This record gives sequence, structure tokens and C-alpha cells, in this order.
Amino acid sequence: MALGALLLVLALLAPGFFRGGQLLSICSTVIPVLLVACGISLVIISRQIDISVGSQFAFCSILAGLLIQAHWPMPLAALAAIGAGACCGAFNGALIAGLGLPSIVVTLATMVTWREGLRWWRQGEFVHDLPETFQWFGLGQAGGQTAVLFITALVFTIMVLGTKYLSAGRFVYAVGSDAEAARLAGIRPHVVTFGVFVIMGALTGLAALLNAVRFNDVDPRTGTGLELQSIAAAVVGGVAISGGRGSLWGVLAGVLLLACIAPALVFLRLPPQWEKALQGGIILLAVTADGWRTVRASRSSLS
Amino acid sequence: MKHKEFFRFETMLVCVLGLEILIFNKTGTNFGTQGNMFEVLRLSTEIGLLALVMTPVIITGGIDLSVGSMLGLCAVVMGKLWRDAGMPPMLAAGCTLVLGAAGGGLNALLITRLNLPPLIVTLGSFSLFRGLAEALTRGVDNFTNFPKSYLFLGQGYLFGVVPAQLPIFAAVSVAIWLLVHRTTYGRSFRAIGFSPEGARYAGIPVRKRLALAYILSGFVSALAALVYVARVGQAKADAGTGYELLAITAVVLGGASIFGGTGSVHSTLLGVLALAVLKIGLTLSDQPGELAGILTGALLLAVLTVEAVARKVSARPLRHSSAVKGI
Repeated sequence: MALGALLLVLALLAPGFFRGGQLLSICSTVIPVLLVACGISLVIISRQIDISVGSQFAFCSILAGLLIQAHWPMPLAALAAIGAGACCGAFNGALIAGLGLPSIVVTLATMVTWREGLRWWRQGEFVHDLPETFQWFGLGQAGGQTAVLFITALVFTIMVLGTKYLSAGRFVYAVGSDAEAARLAGIRPHVVTFGVFVIMGALTGLAALLNAVRFNDVDPRTGTGLELQSIAAAVVGGVAISGGRGSLWGVLAGVLLLACIAPALVFLRLPPQWEKALQGGIILLAVTADGWRTVRASRSSLS
Repeated sequence: MKHKEFFRFETMLVCVLGLEILIFNKTGTNFGTQGNMFEVLRLSTEIGLLALVMTPVIITGGIDLSVGSMLGLCAVVMGKLWRDAGMPPMLAAGCTLVLGAAGGGLNALLITRLNLPPLIVTLGSFSLFRGLAEALTRGVDNFTNFPKSYLFLGQGYLFGVVPAQLPIFAAVSVAIWLLVHRTTYGRSFRAIGFSPEGARYAGIPVRKRLALAYILSGFVSALAALVYVARVGQAKADAGTGYELLAITAVVLGGASIFGGTGSVHSTLLGVLALAVLKIGLTLSDQPGELAGILTGALLLAVLTVEAVARKVSARPLRHSSAVKGI
């Protein structure tokens, strides 16, 4: 609804916003956040959290860049990036599901460790001079953007269908609503939690890859703040932080809403420094509206 | 049970701290001097203040991600009030403290009145406060040339040796320690952390106590901002970025459970010291600064893993009923 309102304001005040090129460029910037937000939503639905995704993202981006530079073929490098992400996720998952450690603390620790480890290893150096075949998969900008968009749409559709119709998808919701009840129903919560973190990592790896192909060098600081961006998008999209509730369509709307703010400010000729404040305001508004509804509902059910 | 937990975390932390001091005494130049000991305390004051007020928040089972952004916003507002509004530093500092308490009040309002999860509310205000700081400075403005009398707060030394911010740090430590460990407020924080519903049935005004924890958090973040600006001599919108995570790390390292109900102020201080000594010791030993971050993460995981394994071993018969924990 909020997304609709923002788009309406834009349509009235700045019709230039809706030109094809502009939309395509928003789409391609939004893709990494969308993929990561989908993963985060699964994690939150299973009643965990992951704040290490930004660091994983940077690690996978650098890895993909370096492998390409070492003349690995593109598909192999892509697989390696996704695999590396899955390994990072598996590490988190093992500590959280295996030892029962709180996910926020584990991922806080891995976030710092990966990020600083990467800085130590690369000393802040960019990966430069990537071959032609890397940028946009060697398809040129328009072709590459379409390809990236296609891959994302495919993965998103699989995720939507998977969470809805696959039993594994339903298990995530079951574990998030009540892990003990899920266990009594024959689901192994530890396995589900572990799996969710592996998927989260793999999606982060894919997002890192699709983000890296947009440029011809890789910045080691990439992905800073991505964790909070994607958690915010999930929450604005209606995923309940207490687990067990949320849909990926809502997440898509949340991602688009938050991503449209920056370009919208430019088109409305407002100072761009307000972006973060507006994002924060929107998050608070979204949760306030939700909280107020619940409080009112519980009051009316009492009387 | 309580005694056991106390034993585990604090001894472990004291051992780590002792080990750090031993190693850095060997490897670092000037590490063991009195001057450096005061320097460690001087540099850990801001994080220390944030960690101190994070402790009651985490004991209630909540979290406050907005403290670092609050520090940034308060630093900018302090600069703005002093330079652009022409207030004397004392008055500007007073207004900044009020703003901090108000920011904490916003968090408290949403958390207690609408029953929203603290993680999400403070994630929103994390973004909001930092964004306001950026908007106020248009992302580039930097406040410098503060008067000498104010800078003394962060750069001066009492009697030539004791850093001027140390008395503040000590006073806040004692105050929070008394609040958490010697008053009914602290007791109710713990009760709320174990079970908010149970605490309510026991007659504890849960909303008021929670509000106190978050308002205090905002207020002390503003205080930390004042010390920070005085120490570095400038106020920019990115002041205190990432401090919230360092503060949480220190509290968790000190043995507080992120699920609430346990935690103590003195172990938090030990956690702060362990992190600060690690960072400064590595610098004095000519090691890269990144190593401090890596070791911090590793230390956190190691301490938690040891604790979890110990708990599993001691509670083996119950193992199968322990489901995966939520956040």
C-alpha cells in the first residue's frame, strides 16, 4: 500500500521516473538486496536472524573476481561464489543449530570476523581489470541486465513456490512458529535451521555474483549495511520477527519500497541525504501500523 | 546454578584478560606503563558507556541497536547548537542530553505501548537517527574548533595523569552497578528478562521498567557523544558507526544471555576491558588493526562455544528436549 502511494506521488510529480531505462536500472540495483532479503526472510520465518550477510556478500564478490582473474571459466567461478556463500552459511548454521547458540551473537561474531579477515587479506585493494567476459557475462549492458533479471525472477519464483508448496518450505514456517511442536510432529528443527542458513549463504553468494557483474572491478567494502537493509525490507514487507509468519511477495514490495526512496528523492528534487532518515521513518511507520492493529484487535476482543 | 554460571564466565574472562596483559607486556612497547593503562581506559570510555547501559537492556531480554546512531546524532546536534545556534557549550551539552533521553523515549514508547520487538524498533531508529545526522550536516559538514574548556573533557588530564573522562566513566559505572545490582529496579529487569508475563503477574510495572532501561540507554548514549566529540575534537555524521555492535559484543562477552534474565555490570566492564586491551595491545605490538577484529569475533565464538558445550555436558539427560533457540 505504501509502495502504491509512493509510486502515485511520483507519477504525479515526476513522470520521468517511469521511463524504461530508469526502471531497469532500479531493478538491477535492487536485485542483490532482493535475493538477500528473500534469504533473510526464510531465516526470520524460522525464528533466527543473520547479520553476517553483508560480510559474506563482500567475501563472495571478491572471490568471484579473483577466480575470474585467474582465468577460471565463468560458470565455474559462479558456482564457487555460490558455494563459498553456502559454506559461510553452513558455518553459522552449524554453530546455531548444532550447539544451540543464539543466532544474533553468532552472526555478529562471524560478521566482524569475515569483514576484518577480508580487509587483512586484501588490505582494502580492489580487484581490477576483470576480463570482458565478466561484466554482464559478456552480453553487453542491456543483454546482461535482462539475463540478471531473468535469473533473479527464476530464483524468486522457485522460492515463492517452494515456501508455499514444498513440505520443506512449510517446515520452515512450522519450526518458526513453535520448534517444540514441530519436533513432536516429526520435523527435525535442527536440520531445518541448518538448511535455512545454508540457503541464506547460497543466496548471498548468488546476489554477490549478480552484483559484481555490474561493474568491471570489485570493491572489498561492498555489502556494508546490507544485513540491515535486507532485514528492514523483510520487516516492512510484513515478515514477523517472532517467526512463523510472512510471505515473499510482501518482501518484494518491501525491497522495492525502500529501493525507490533514493531515486525518488532525486526525481522530486529533495536533498539525497534524507534517504536514510526516510528509510528509518518508513520502518518505524510500518511496524507501528502493524503493532497498533494488533493492540486494537486484542482490545476489541477483550470487550 | 547461579554460582556455577558466575564462575564460568567471569573466570574465563579474567583468564583471557590476564593472558592478554601477559602477552602484550612481552610484545608491546610501553604496554605495561601506568600511562598506557590510563590510555586504555581513556579510549574505551565511549564504548564502555554504551556497553554499561546496554547491560540492563539486554538483561530485560531486549536489545538497543540505535546507540551508535544516537551517538552520531547527538554529536552533530551538539556541534550544531554550539556553532550555529550560538549556545554556550554547557547549555548545548544539556540540550544534547535531553535529546538523547527523548530518542530513548521514542524507542521506549514503541516497544512498551505497541508491544513491538526491540530489535525491529531500534533497527528503525538506528536508521532514523543516523539519517537525521546525515541530513542535518548534508553529509559533509564537520564541526571543529570547540572551546578549550569543553575539549578538556576528552583530552585533558586531571593532576597531569588521570584522563578527564575517567571520573565520568567511573561515576556512570557505579550508578549503573547500583541500579542493576542493589535496587528493586535491577531485580525487576531480571524478572522481566526471564518472563515479562510472569513479572507482570508479580506486580512489576513492566512497561515503566522497560521504558526506564531504553530512556537511560538514550541518555547515556548522548553522554558518550559529548565525551566522543571532546576527545576527537570534531563532530561528523558518521561518529560512532558500528559502536552498537562493539557494545553488544562486550556485554555478551561478559556473560549476559541475549535471551534476557542474566548478566552483570562488572562482567560487562571486564568484557569492555578485554576488547580494549586486545585492540591497543595489538597496535603497540605492531600488529595490523584487522587482527583485533578477527580475534574479537573468534573470542566471542570461543567463549560461547565453551559455555554451550559445558552446558550440554552437564545437562545431557535433558538434551533431547532442547529445541533450537530463537533470537
